[in-house]
Amino acid sequence: MLPADTTKPIKLTPASQFTYEQLAAIYNQTRVDYMVPMPMNAARLAEYAATYDVKLERSLVATTQEGEMLGVAMLGVRKDRAWITRLGVLPNTRRGGIGKILFGGLIEQAAQLSINFHMLEVIKNNIPAYQLFLKFGFREIGELLVLRRSPLIQQQDPIAADAQRLDRSEALALVEHDRGTQPWTNQSESLFNANEVSGLRLSLADGSRGWLVYQRQKFLLTRFAFKTETGDPPKVAYALLSHLHHQYPRLDTQIENIQINDPHLPAFYEMGYIESFRRIEMWHGRPPENLNGDK
Amino acid sequence: MTKILLIEDIPDNVELVRKALSRTGYEIIHAADAETGLAMALSECPDLILLDLGLPDYDGQTLAGWLRDESILDDTPIVVLTAWPEEAAKQVVESYRCNGYISKPILKINEFIAQVNSYIKTA
Repeated sequence: MLPADTTKPIKLTPASQFTYEQLAAIYNQTRVDYMVPMPMNAARLAEYAATYDVKLERSLVATTQEGEMLGVAMLGVRKDRAWITRLGVLPNTRRGGIGKILFGGLIEQAAQLSINFHMLEVIKNNIPAYQLFLKFGFREIGELLVLRRSPLIQQQDPIAADAQRLDRSEALALVEHDRGTQPWTNQSESLFNANEVSGLRLSLADGSRGWLVYQRQKFLLTRFAFKTETGDPPKVAYALLSHLHHQYPRLDTQIENIQINDPHLPAFYEMGYIESFRRIEMWHGRPPENLNGDK
Repeated sequence: MTKILLIEDIPDNVELVRKALSRTGYEIIHAADAETGLAMALSECPDLILLDLGLPDYDGQTLAGWLRDESILDDTPIVVLTAWPEEAAKQVVESYRCNGYISKPILKINEFIAQVNSYIKTA
């Protein structure tokens, strides 16, 4: 394929003027050469937009004047903060400034909503994207882990504990309070928007206690939120995970954007989770007081 | 005839694998997403499954879990196609009970054919 002529003017069009099929197609094409391409079909992209409050009318597709799609960038909006996601440019049109135009377009969209605080994550070692974000004034906040657990590994017996299953309303009541600063994907709004959310709460004999809230999809456990209320975080987390995976032994598990300094992490590794890849979290502007979406 | 199921969503990669393996005489069948891949694996009983990790409906790891959960496919080698670093690819292979991985992009055709042959011969 010949490189597109990116010397011609680029047109930005709201993503809401395209179908999810079209948006999934352009998004997938922008990432074919990524180490972690994470393609999506239309249904997955629609679910992604709904869960993460992506506003298609504020998201942008870059095209030539003739309408040839060149790239895409999406904007999530929650109260006083915005999230930049799914930014990508077709491989054969990169280095022509399209990413910069899309990115600047999203910042402008957020400004129109009087939002001056922006968040994003970039896959670690995606140097061109990272450099672009630095140029726009973003700063690195920390590293995030994407973890995976196969249902094929040997199951453990659940740790002896007083365990209680939580229905959706009980689970959501826990996530909306006092969880500290969270990346966009793990803020309470994401769980409120998700289907099939439930939870576990348990107490150990030594008085330790904590809870775990999760989304159960057809084949996957995902979108975890967890907290140790009292006691040693790895110990409480291990007990919670042992009960969760005992309850759903045949489900694969993927959790995203766990902060690298999260004190519960040793329990995940002990339970057989493996690291898929890392992201860098970056912010721009002054953060609002509450970055979990607490009520 | 030896039958290979290629589960891969990117048309250019499908074409590349088809071309690369055209001289081997293997029959290549193709699925572009995980659900179709599972259905074809069960109906076609291939001699080898080449599995891309990035698929548009469910990812390749989830699919590997489904495939390995099917007793009819117990003896079918599953080989992951991935651009992930070696350590991450090895972890996926081990935890999802795959038989190995082949690094993407595929640059050396003869090397790729030899890798595929090695899994067929040990099947």
